[in-house]
Amino acid sequence: MTTIALILSILVGTVSLAIGYGQAGATNYSRLFLLLAAVWLFMQYRKWYWFSSIALLMIIVAGAYGVWLGYPTVWMVLGAVGGLLGWDLSDFARRLSYASPMDDTRPTERRHLERAGIVAALGLGLALLSVFIHFQRLAFEVAVGLLLLAALGLTRLVIGLIRK
Amino acid sequence: MSRSLLLSLLTYGLLLAGIATLHGGFIALALPLVSYLLIGYLQAPEKVQLEVTRHLSLERATPNQDVEVTVTVTNQGPALEEVLLQDQVPSGLTVRLKTSRHLVRLARGAAYTFTYIVTGPRGGYEFEGLDAQVNDHLAIRNTKVQMKAKRRLFVFPLVTRVRQIAIRPRRTRVYAGTIPARAGGTGTEFFGVREYQPGDPPHSINWRASARYSETLYANEYQQERVADVGIVLDGRLKTNEFASGHSLFEHSVQAAAAMADALLNQGNRVGLLLYSSYLGWTLPGYGKIQRERILYALANARPGDSQVFANFGHVPTQLFPPESQIVFVSPLADDDLKPLIELRAQGYDVLAISPNPVKYELSYLGNTNSNIDLAGRVLHMERLLLLQRLQRANIQVVDWDVKEPFDQLVKRRLSHAPAWLRAVGR
Repeated sequence: MTTIALILSILVGTVSLAIGYGQAGATNYSRLFLLLAAVWLFMQYRKWYWFSSIALLMIIVAGAYGVWLGYPTVWMVLGAVGGLLGWDLSDFARRLSYASPMDDTRPTERRHLERAGIVAALGLGLALLSVFIHFQRLAFEVAVGLLLLAALGLTRLVIGLIRK
Repeated sequence: MSRSLLLSLLTYGLLLAGIATLHGGFIALALPLVSYLLIGYLQAPEKVQLEVTRHLSLERATPNQDVEVTVTVTNQGPALEEVLLQDQVPSGLTVRLKTSRHLVRLARGAAYTFTYIVTGPRGGYEFEGLDAQVNDHLAIRNTKVQMKAKRRLFVFPLVTRVRQIAIRPRRTRVYAGTIPARAGGTGTEFFGVREYQPGDPPHSINWRASARYSETLYANEYQQERVADVGIVLDGRLKTNEFASGHSLFEHSVQAAAAMADALLNQGNRVGLLLYSSYLGWTLPGYGKIQRERILYALANARPGDSQVFANFGHVPTQLFPPESQIVFVSPLADDDLKPLIELRAQGYDVLAISPNPVKYELSYLGNTNSNIDLAGRVLHMERLLLLQRLQRANIQVVDWDVKEPFDQLVKRRLSHAPAWLRAVGR
C-alpha cells in the first residue's frame, strides 16, 4: 500500500515538473526530472532512504526556479506536493522497516496514508487558491507585512519544535 | 538533518524568495510545506507517559538455554500513533526467536505485550530498560523515551556432577563429615587400638589383642571423619588461559571449579572461591546450598584478565585460607607458578592442582600437520611434564586434565575414593 503510494508520489512530483518545464520548452530539464524519478525509485528500492531528502530539495529548488522563470505555477506546485509526499512516504517506509514481521502495520499504514493525503490536498488547495486568487487592491506594504508575520509565526514554530 | 529542520529551511527559503522577488508563485510553493509542518506540529502528542514491566521465564539459566523475555508497555498518556519499541538486550545475549523491536500504535490506556527468546553464554546479564521512539502522524516531532525495566539473568556454568572427592587436609573442622581427621573416634576407617574405656561399645573390643593380655581389654579405634575448609583458586590469568585465534581454556577451568565446589559442598565442607584474574574476586567460605549459589554467581561473572601484580601465584592472599586447610588450584599452570605453590605447601596447606592441559588443547586445534608444530608440541609437553613432576615431588597433588575427557570421568579416576561400604568389605 505504502509502496504504491510512494511510487505514485515520486512520479507525480517529477513528472509534473517535467511537464511544466516541457510546456515552457525546456525539454532538457524535463529529461533530467525523469532521470531523477528513476534514480529516486532505484534508491528507494535499495532502501537508501537518505536520498529522498536530497530529491525533495532538488524538486523544491527546481519548482522555485521554474516559478522564477515564469513557467506554469500549477505544475510547479503539483511537483512540490508530489515531492513532499514522496519524501514523507519514503521516511514512513523506513520507519515501517523497523517493524517486526509479527507486527500488523496495515492499520498504521492506512491511517498514515489518509493523513498524508489530507495534508497534501490541503497544501495543494491552499497553493492553488493563492495562484488563482489575486487581491488587486492589496498594497505592497501590507503584502510584505503579511509575509513577515508568516515568517515570524514559522520562526516561533521552529523554536517550539527545537525546544521540544 | 531532522525532518522538521529541512522543511523549515525550505519554507524559509521560499518565503524569502517570495519577498525578494515579489512573486506569489514562491509563496504558493511554500504553502504545502507550511501546512505539512503545521498539521504535524499540532497533532504531536504533548506528553508521553509509558510504563514498562518485564518478566523473565528464568532468572538462572545454563549456557545456551532458552529464556523467554516478556515485556508489557502500557500507555498512560494520550494516544500515540507510532511507537517504535526497542528493548535493550544486554550485550552477549542473542535473540534466538522473535524480535525485541516492534512498531505499534498505543491508544490511551492500552497495553502492548511482546515476547522474545534469548540465549547466551555463561555470564551475568542485566536488562536495563526499553527505548521508545514516539512519532506523531507525520513524524515531524519525535520523542525518544528511555524506560527502566530492570531484571537480571544469570547464566551459570554447567555443573558436572562429581562423586566423592578424596582430599586430606591436615586440619579439619569440628563437624562430622567425610574427610579423615587423623584422630581416633567414631568412623569407618580403622585407626588404632587402645585400652578399653568404660562406655566404649562392646563390639569395639579387639578380642585378638585382648587375648594376649590377661588383665586388660583393648578396643579398636576408628578414624574420625569431619568436614574441612577448602579454598578453590580459579586461575583467570590471560597468559595461562588464552591462546591464539580466540581459543580459551577458561571455560573449562570454570566448569572444573564449579564441579569441585559443588562436590565439596555436597560433602559438607566449608568452601570459598578466589578468582585470580586481573583482580581478586573472593567469595567468603560457607556451607550448603546457599554457598553453592554464591559460588555459581561468582563463576557466572568470572572473566579472564591480565595484571602485572597477579602475573604468578605469588600474590595469592594466604590469609584468606585457614592454616593447614585444603587449597584447590584450577589452573593450566605456568612455569613461574612452581615456586609459589611449593611455598604454599611449605606453609602447611594441602594443595591440589587441577590443571587443564594447555599443550594438548592447543595441539587439538592446530593439528599435527606441520612438523614444526609437532616438534614444538613435544618440547612443550616435556616442559609441562617436568613442571608437574616438580610439583608432585613437593607433595602437591596434581591432576593433569586433557579437556577432551569429561571432567567427571577424570575425577572418578583420579580423585574419588571408594564408598565406605566398599572399603568395609576390603575392596
